[in-house]
Amino acid sequence: MRRKPLALLIACMLACLTAAYATPGLAEAKPTLLTIYEGPKTMVTSPVATVLVNGYELFVYDVMVNHEHIWNANTQPTTTPMTYFDFEGRVQIELTMPGLGHPVESAEVLPLSLGITPEVRDGAVRFTVTEPGQYTVVLNGSVNQAVHIFANPLETDVPDPDDPDVFYIGPGEWVMDAIALQDNQTLYLSGGAVLHSIISVSDAQNVRICGRGMIDGSDYPAWNQPGSYARVPIDLNHAKDVTIEGITLVNSNCWNLNSYSSRRVSIDNVKIISGRQNGDGFTFQSCIDHTVTNSFARTWDDSLVIKNYSGSTQEITFRHMQVWTDLAQSMEIGYETDKGLTLDPEISDVLFEDITVLYNFHKPVISIHNSDDAFVHDITYRNIVVENALMQGDNGFNKELIEMTLQNSSWSTVRDEFGSIDNVLIDGLTVLNTANGKVPASRISGQSEDNRITNVTLKNVSILGNRITDLKALKLSVNEYCEAITIE
Amino acid sequence: MSRIVKTVLCLAAALLLIFPCAALAQEIETIETIVTVVAAPEQTKAERPPCFPDPADNFIPLPDAENLAQGKPVLSGAHTDVYVDKNVNDGKTDTYWESKGFPAEITFDLQGSFSVSTVAVCLNPSSIWEPRVQEIAVAVSLDGESFTEVSPAEKYQFDAATGNRVRIDFEPTEAAYVKVIFTMNSSSRTGGAQAAEICVY
Repeated sequence: MRRKPLALLIACMLACLTAAYATPGLAEAKPTLLTIYEGPKTMVTSPVATVLVNGYELFVYDVMVNHEHIWNANTQPTTTPMTYFDFEGRVQIELTMPGLGHPVESAEVLPLSLGITPEVRDGAVRFTVTEPGQYTVVLNGSVNQAVHIFANPLETDVPDPDDPDVFYIGPGEWVMDAIALQDNQTLYLSGGAVLHSIISVSDAQNVRICGRGMIDGSDYPAWNQPGSYARVPIDLNHAKDVTIEGITLVNSNCWNLNSYSSRRVSIDNVKIISGRQNGDGFTFQSCIDHTVTNSFARTWDDSLVIKNYSGSTQEITFRHMQVWTDLAQSMEIGYETDKGLTLDPEISDVLFEDITVLYNFHKPVISIHNSDDAFVHDITYRNIVVENALMQGDNGFNKELIEMTLQNSSWSTVRDEFGSIDNVLIDGLTVLNTANGKVPASRISGQSEDNRITNVTLKNVSILGNRITDLKALKLSVNEYCEAITIE
Repeated sequence: MSRIVKTVLCLAAALLLIFPCAALAQEIETIETIVTVVAAPEQTKAERPPCFPDPADNFIPLPDAENLAQGKPVLSGAHTDVYVDKNVNDGKTDTYWESKGFPAEITFDLQGSFSVSTVAVCLNPSSIWEPRVQEIAVAVSLDGESFTEVSPAEKYQFDAATGNRVRIDFEPTEAAYVKVIFTMNSSSRTGGAQAAEICVY
């Protein structure tokens, strides 16, 4: 008995040593690899925010966003700080806000699912990340004071600048009217590059757009202003086998990453921030086999969009995305589902998976607005987390969490015929916060006996911490032209 | 065990606890980092990316003379959408005229008699206007009624690499009116003739 305290003491010492030296960063001597980019010498870093990564200062851009959460043809965007770097390992991010005008008293790092609790001390926000991703810091509980920090993975497979099929744009500020990429060409936009231009891939195949740089549309007035017109930063038109990776699109004067009647398009780690009229994010019309992964869209119009403009849509996947919808819908199918007046139009085999909606301020988070005559079917939403469902709608309408309709709209082309919606699965929908602390309404509305919405299944729905297992608790209204609408 | 031994062991244990905690706190501030800084070039304004040489160096040259068509009255048939004929001599290549079908005639009143020998037809020089072929003829008149063909219908290649412009030269001829006649456009995007600017020299 007398020896027990000694044994206990020695055991404690060994445990302390083991715990201390097994801590990552101490026992593992592998250093962090960090790439940072100087901003163009023609620009100045944001006076609002300062960001250090492992003690190294980043160049911070002020990019257009819009805190007006209702349509306004003459809206005036504001700006918010955005920066980026590449890394592998572990980084401590330190954010200060010299231009905020008042002290930083609290901070929240989004997505909340990452469980990052920042330290706020002496006006600085500090937090550590170990995985590449998009991190948004909301300060003092105000969404109007947010900083976007894009922590990219280290670049791999950087194209050879001497390759005659490679257009290599290095760091700096660059301008040209437009860039049209042809078969087998690559456009590389280095980190630290700010390109004022638009990129067109029209009737071309095997095209690659990559890098860490930005395409900036701030030179152009909003597309709907007198004398202006839409200048889509990346515009695919009848393109095939296109990959887009790593870049950031900001300040567009219209849509952002558009694909029309294209096939086999792969998009990864593309970040979009828009604040002007019709600033839709990833928008695909009549496309086949498109995949978007690890990407970010903060938009002043629909964030992720699928439409039919000329023919059918098939096999579209959005996976592991973050969305911040300042205006309109977060995941929108429609409204145009047969703008091209084609024979038997369909939208099918669409998957939204692992989508985190940081904020939605305006219209439905999940929406299928079949306002022409298409057959929309086999649509899956899996593991959707809505951190802030704050839909205010328009004049009391269109503020549902989920909305599926077969109705004409101002965007309809076909007005005398309607389509149908069949086989929709929502498996995993979690809502963390709502505007009034209550469950938001949802709506499923068919058109007629011949134009119905059928086989909509909801599973694993949780709102405000409560598991929802019946349609009434979900506040889901279903009209008489629907069938087999179930929740498990 | 003596009290002295116990005390020493307790102190040692405390130190072992304190040291790693202090090391941890210190470590958060100084994560060992291998940093690459990608430097920006010296610039005073936004420039054209060097990997895209200025295509203007390869543009088809136009005569160094007054464009007799610019701003003069113009007459054509039906146009497509908003692409009216007055766009064709407004001095801007980012506006254009597009006819509704073929043949498409567009006539300039030079408001005086001049010796003319060149007509240039220009599209927007941007490379997003893909290469196309248009078939074009030129006729001239002194009274606006009776026209004489000075350049027969011929197919011309438009290519952004050469400025998306073509130059039609003919023998110097007195003219008060110049008519440009389009009979074909290979672009799949339109069923009509297209011109951003038509210049007469």
